[in-house]
Amino acid sequence: MTSGHHWTLAAGALCVIAGCGGVDAPSPAPPPAASITVGSALAGVQSLDRALDDTPRSIDPQLATDVPGQRVLDDLFEGLTTVDIAGKASAAVASTWESSADGRTWVFHLRPQARWSNGAPLTAADFVYSWRRVVDPKTGAEYAQGMAAIDNALQIAAGKLPTDALGVEALDAHTLKVRLSGPTPYLLDLLAQQYTYPVYEPAIRQYGDDWVRPEHLVCNGAFVLRENVLGSRITLEKNDKYWDAAHVHLQRVIYYILVDGSAQVSRFLAGDVDWTDSFPASQRSWLRSVLGEQVVNSPYFGDYMLGMNFTLPPFKDNLPLRQALVLALDREPLTHYMREGVFQPSYTLMPPLPDYQLPVPEWSTLSDDARHQLARRLYAQAGYSDRHRLRLELDTTMLDTGSRHYLEAVAANWRSVLGAEIHIDEREFKVLLQDLQLHKLVLFHDAWIGDYPDPYTFMQIFYTGNGNNHEGYSNPRFDQLVDAAGNETDNARRFRLFEQAERLLDDDAAFIPLYYYATRHLVKPYLRGWESNVMDRNLSRYMYLLEHQGH
Amino acid sequence: MLRYTLRRLLGAIPTLLVIVTLAFVLLHAAPGGPFDGAKRMLPEIQKSIEAKYHLDEPLWRQYLRYLADLARGDLGPSFQYRSTTVNEIIAEGLPVDATIGLTAIALALLIGGAVGVNAALRRGTRWDYGTMALAVVGISTPVFVVAPLLILIFAIKLHWLPAGDWVHGAPSHLLLPAFALALPYIAYVARIMRGSTIDVLNSAFIRTARAKGLPPRLIVWRHALRPTLTPLISFLGPAIAGVVTGSIVVETVFGLPGIGRYFITAALNRDYTLVIGITVLYGALIILFNLLADLCYAWIDPRVRLQ
Repeated sequence: MTSGHHWTLAAGALCVIAGCGGVDAPSPAPPPAASITVGSALAGVQSLDRALDDTPRSIDPQLATDVPGQRVLDDLFEGLTTVDIAGKASAAVASTWESSADGRTWVFHLRPQARWSNGAPLTAADFVYSWRRVVDPKTGAEYAQGMAAIDNALQIAAGKLPTDALGVEALDAHTLKVRLSGPTPYLLDLLAQQYTYPVYEPAIRQYGDDWVRPEHLVCNGAFVLRENVLGSRITLEKNDKYWDAAHVHLQRVIYYILVDGSAQVSRFLAGDVDWTDSFPASQRSWLRSVLGEQVVNSPYFGDYMLGMNFTLPPFKDNLPLRQALVLALDREPLTHYMREGVFQPSYTLMPPLPDYQLPVPEWSTLSDDARHQLARRLYAQAGYSDRHRLRLELDTTMLDTGSRHYLEAVAANWRSVLGAEIHIDEREFKVLLQDLQLHKLVLFHDAWIGDYPDPYTFMQIFYTGNGNNHEGYSNPRFDQLVDAAGNETDNARRFRLFEQAERLLDDDAAFIPLYYYATRHLVKPYLRGWESNVMDRNLSRYMYLLEHQGH
Repeated sequence: MLRYTLRRLLGAIPTLLVIVTLAFVLLHAAPGGPFDGAKRMLPEIQKSIEAKYHLDEPLWRQYLRYLADLARGDLGPSFQYRSTTVNEIIAEGLPVDATIGLTAIALALLIGGAVGVNAALRRGTRWDYGTMALAVVGISTPVFVVAPLLILIFAIKLHWLPAGDWVHGAPSHLLLPAFALALPYIAYVARIMRGSTIDVLNSAFIRTARAKGLPPRLIVWRHALRPTLTPLISFLGPAIAGVVTGSIVVETVFGLPGIGRYFITAALNRDYTLVIGITVLYGALIILFNLLADLCYAWIDPRVRLQ
């Protein structure tokens, strides 16, 4: 998904792999700060205070589209799979599953002990109802296409087929059969997405849109909803009916909605919250000096880049110019000095992912001088010089100070290496979005957060005609490779195909990579049961508090 | 006075209608829609959402529908927060803002009034120059500087007060945001009260009172104070309407569930109904508090006749 700010990045779905089980042993944690003494026994009061980046736009699993919504829903609901403490897919409502040889048919076996929070049994029919609800156009689920892997999902969402044509079937109360439109090796990751979570049909029938209110909401996750004060806080309490309640330590979780990163920092320093969703990148050095290892910064499955319009001059049919802009930038010092080292410089579309070999381009290994010389040569080859400079607007969303300084430094980098005059033009996100979709912008802000840990979530954006292909990029060979990967059941071979596709993007200078995103949390040393993970999903279900003094 | 009040209230209706119409037209003229997201929706889904919120109807019909709902007191559903109505958002947020805002105004009147009158009585002294210099600093210092400073001192260093959150108006949660919001108003009130007190102290009826040999304290309390309030009241009318509808900075820094932030976020998200709802509310409060200010004039100054 594209976005200008961290909280709007959320606008896209995130996904991860699922995990299982409770946490019995303390996980590795940072050493405590000097003012906090941490014991080894569980704290008497297991109440967690978490800061949340924004008010969720909805806590209806099928309607939620943002990261804050996903965080809360991860605690309230649970799908066939979930994410474990390390962010990997693992068993949840489904305890076991098997798939056919062609990878197109899966059968999931649900836990008989799985219950709704009102005590009613959770059955395969609940999943059938919920998945049909997502793809039913009448529901208005913005992420309906997230179900594209399920047979007929897109045709139903397009109003061409009835909802009962969806490739999902309850064989009995605890067995669910799923037919796919093609082999989907990342299916278990997909099924840990919030829009696949089951919802309780009787509550929706009885209360309509109001079913998500605390007094009506029936859920199946580790926690239930006790209070939802818009713009202020969301209070959850342990769900005793949860199938794995014995391994859930926390009795209460309060999400405090703090839109401003600095406000999250203040509340953390004051001891009001144990966990923050983010902190301003510009404060990292200072925070590290004050809080030490309580500052947690790890790779996140997203990247920030600049797009170039392939359908308009000067980039249309102008490979040397595109390459010149890509090569001229000194990414290491730019991210180190202008982004406080929070983010890592990027040379690829895909962020690092286990088993996927990032096709790092050869030019990234050149010395600065050699790279600059090559960029200047390409710039000249494109017809530009000191007397005929490239003059362009770089269109972006409204930026925070740190991001603005970073882009100003990028523009200065182009000016010093190439002599190009690039001016930054900030505009409202909705305005930028409209212009992007109309392909009116020439050089623009672009960003993407992966929905699930698979290269396809990144590659699809450069597929010919994709709605998010704001660049208007089209290369039949690239499309063929992505299609071939889509039909490949062997994951290793799929990854090799994606790596080839990504090399084509570099050959075509399809975009200007800048940096990979990073998670940014402040975490009290007495909070355990979490690990940094690339999808940045940390379920309260696994967390617990150790006894401690100070804050 | 009753007839005057009724006439003013009836006169507010066309004013509010103009506000609604302008807000409606401007919002719909802005590029982008409420459900345009970073990720493109399937067309059939988009159609379904637009039909649900009547966005597929011609604009004039949407406008008339909105007016009919408004006449019934229904401000419509929020587009930004699905399953939530604008009435609910205002009902939840306005009491928070009103509590903080009115506390801030009370602090401003108490502290600013006392400082301003004192400065006028000691005109030309170090106290006068000192407090007025502080007032200039108070007016010039933005809330986004004051609020984090208050948090740093009272919440992080001293741990005397919470750094934010809202627990049903508990005084400990109210103090810091109310004071942060009050600071510029304290300074304004001090300057207004100083100026008006000096004017009144130089007027003929005060000279007469002095000539009669009345003690200074009696002159100030019985004769001077009431007329000095006139300029303050014209300031307070719109000021109260402003503070009770929230401050985006105070709400953001302290994490308070008010409605001030929606003036910006709802507009950026093209949440048409929420923007129009809070704009109408703000307009209605401005009209109401200006009316109250006019009524107060008549009470304070017998020369004012309401017609």
